[in-house]
Amino acid sequence: MPNGKLFSFETVQKSFSQQLLLDVDQLVLSAGQSIILSGDNGAGKTTLMKIIAGLEKPDQARIQYADKQHSWSSLRPTLIEKIVYLHQQPYLFNCSVEKNIEYGLRQSGMAVAERRKKVEEGLRWAGLSHLAQRNARVLSIGEKQRVALTRARVLNPRILLLDEPMASMDAAAREQTCGLLQELKTSGVSIILCSHELDDVLTLGDLHLRLQAGKLNEMPLS
Amino acid sequence: MDSLSQASLEALKLLFSGDRELWEIIGISFSVSLRAILIAIPFSILIAFLLAYFRFPGRRLLISIFHTLLSIPAVVVGLTVYLLLSRSGPMGDLKLLFTQTAMIIGQIILALPILVSMCHASFQAADKRAWETALTLGASPSQALLTIMHEIRFGLLAAIISAFGRIIAEVGCSMMVGGNILHYTRNIPTAIALETSKGEFAQGIALGMTLLFLSLLLNLGMSSVAGKGEMH
Repeated sequence: MPNGKLFSFETVQKSFSQQLLLDVDQLVLSAGQSIILSGDNGAGKTTLMKIIAGLEKPDQARIQYADKQHSWSSLRPTLIEKIVYLHQQPYLFNCSVEKNIEYGLRQSGMAVAERRKKVEEGLRWAGLSHLAQRNARVLSIGEKQRVALTRARVLNPRILLLDEPMASMDAAAREQTCGLLQELKTSGVSIILCSHELDDVLTLGDLHLRLQAGKLNEMPLS
Repeated sequence: MDSLSQASLEALKLLFSGDRELWEIIGISFSVSLRAILIAIPFSILIAFLLAYFRFPGRRLLISIFHTLLSIPAVVVGLTVYLLLSRSGPMGDLKLLFTQTAMIIGQIILALPILVSMCHASFQAADKRAWETALTLGASPSQALLTIMHEIRFGLLAAIISAFGRIIAEVGCSMMVGGNILHYTRNIPTAIALETSKGEFAQGIALGMTLLFLSLLLNLGMSSVAGKGEMH
């Protein structure tokens, strides 16, 4: 359950080819909260998530954080630090599963011993220990998603943004991924998850928002 | 035919007897071309990356210029550098004409379009998610650039090998701005041209063999690196 506001995005606007795609009045992200984001293809879900993650510059946005108002550009380093975005088909680097999971920790300059410990713990968490030395590119879709989730989890993000995480997965992989997401949610990570297949993910959500004509509308969870 | 095989035998003898003059020419060639390529690589990669990942006015024009320069004849580059460095030229005071530095400048100009165009194509072909993934996982822009370079390393390596192949074998520019001075600016291609004009084929063939052997080595190296990148 939510227990404190982390970020509040206000008047988020983004246009493409002079056509307004996003015109969000307010989106509040609270600690431990799960938001299910739905909307038609091309509604702007991915763009909104990338703006939140600090990866795509909006035309306009004000962000409330730590009781202060910031511009997107000035808060971008904080957004990148606290939020991890996972693509619909996660990009895995052309190296082993272990090296993929270690990536963010290595960039942060963490000591080797500590890194190893975190990676091993992450591999165990996702049931990937037996695949540690395999090239991540040859894994199944479900396994790739688990590698990406673990790679994000070891960085202890406050917010995780998942773009259609269950797309193209079989039932078993879907169940496994749902289980991991549930565990992340229980551990206090805020999640924004966008999906077409709402049946699978609504149980994970505390709030269901639908993106329509650039605006966010609250929807029932059932 | 007989004279060709005799010259080839003589060439092998020259190579394996450690002929000082011959190996000095080979040394100058490698020293100049390696320095030129090492200077050109960082600039080219940075330019290629900026052209592939950022939108700015004049970007398309720059790409077109680099593509056009791909086919620039070495003698034209030689002539340009000669005019710039000659005593009456704008950089004449530097007294660089007929020096190894002048050859390096010419070879950098020759290598840049190949490096930029091929590296740009590799960056363009790279999955754009790689850049976003690196950033969202906490990499700084420079760390993310290194990550992308690692992901496309085979393309970048192919660009470097192609550019090095061109500059170590070019004759027009080195001849014009280096002056083909023995023990100083005489490199493999200019020596081949000179020896052939004198009718002394043995040294020319020996130097030609060295270039062919280099080409074989570079290709083997490339295949070996590409093999290591295969997925298991």
